[in-house]
Amino acid sequence: MNDYQSIYLALSAILFAIGTLGVITRKDAIVIFLSIEIMLGAANLAFVAFSRANQSAEGIFMVMCVMAVAGAEAAIGLAIFVLLYRKTGSINIDKYNLLKW
Amino acid sequence: MELTATIICGIAAVGTALFVIFSKNTVHSALWMVGNCLALAVLFLLLNSQFIAILQVIVYAGAIMMFILYAIMMLNLRAGGEEGDLKKNLFTGRFVILFLFFISLLILGVGLSPMALKGAMGPHALSAFGEVNLIANYIFVEGLCPFELVSVLLTVGVVGAVYLARRD
Repeated sequence: MNDYQSIYLALSAILFAIGTLGVITRKDAIVIFLSIEIMLGAANLAFVAFSRANQSAEGIFMVMCVMAVAGAEAAIGLAIFVLLYRKTGSINIDKYNLLKW
Repeated sequence: MELTATIICGIAAVGTALFVIFSKNTVHSALWMVGNCLALAVLFLLLNSQFIAILQVIVYAGAIMMFILYAIMMLNLRAGGEEGDLKKNLFTGRFVILFLFFISLLILGVGLSPMALKGAMGPHALSAFGEVNLIANYIFVEGLCPFELVSVLLTVGVVGAVYLARRD
């Protein structure tokens, strides 16, 4: 039997920290998007680990909802990137400071 | 045996995630992300969730990553051209990184404390946990309203993407 729940939780925390590091340090919008996907995957891992520990399907259902949200986010986000690229020819986020206060 | 597989897949997941972040080329980042999705799928299999593992491979590694690669190809980005000095970015964000490291150590300490498995944890219950009929029973009996709302969300997402990307 595989009951090393703590390994999965620690792995989830590490993956989430790596994703946050990518969001903070990179300037390429697509890589930031991929870092957000890493963070979503880490959250999914924690959900499945807890769901298995409690023998319930709620966590699995949450993972499916997260996957649907990730799909919608990919569609909208990439449409926005294509729009930004058409306007300025670049998706470096340093060039988009119109909303900066 | 399972512990070994778990540790190997965990190292693979963390390594591919680091490659995603520190690759100069955006296409390489996306390809490493496919590897990260596959490692996560194997971890889900090790957690007895076969359905989620299959969904991870089909939806993430298949659909979303293909979509992202397609967008990268369409945008015609130069390799490394978009990026400033990565080292400098790391250096200026060092306080944030130290803070994040501290937070992750904290979560690690919580995660490494032993956590008991609850519920009916016989071998049959464990192997039946990720089966699709149990999940479908939950979705269509208890989670019906959120499930339908998710479909509305996907429809709105598709309509919004088409509206944003159309050519005037």
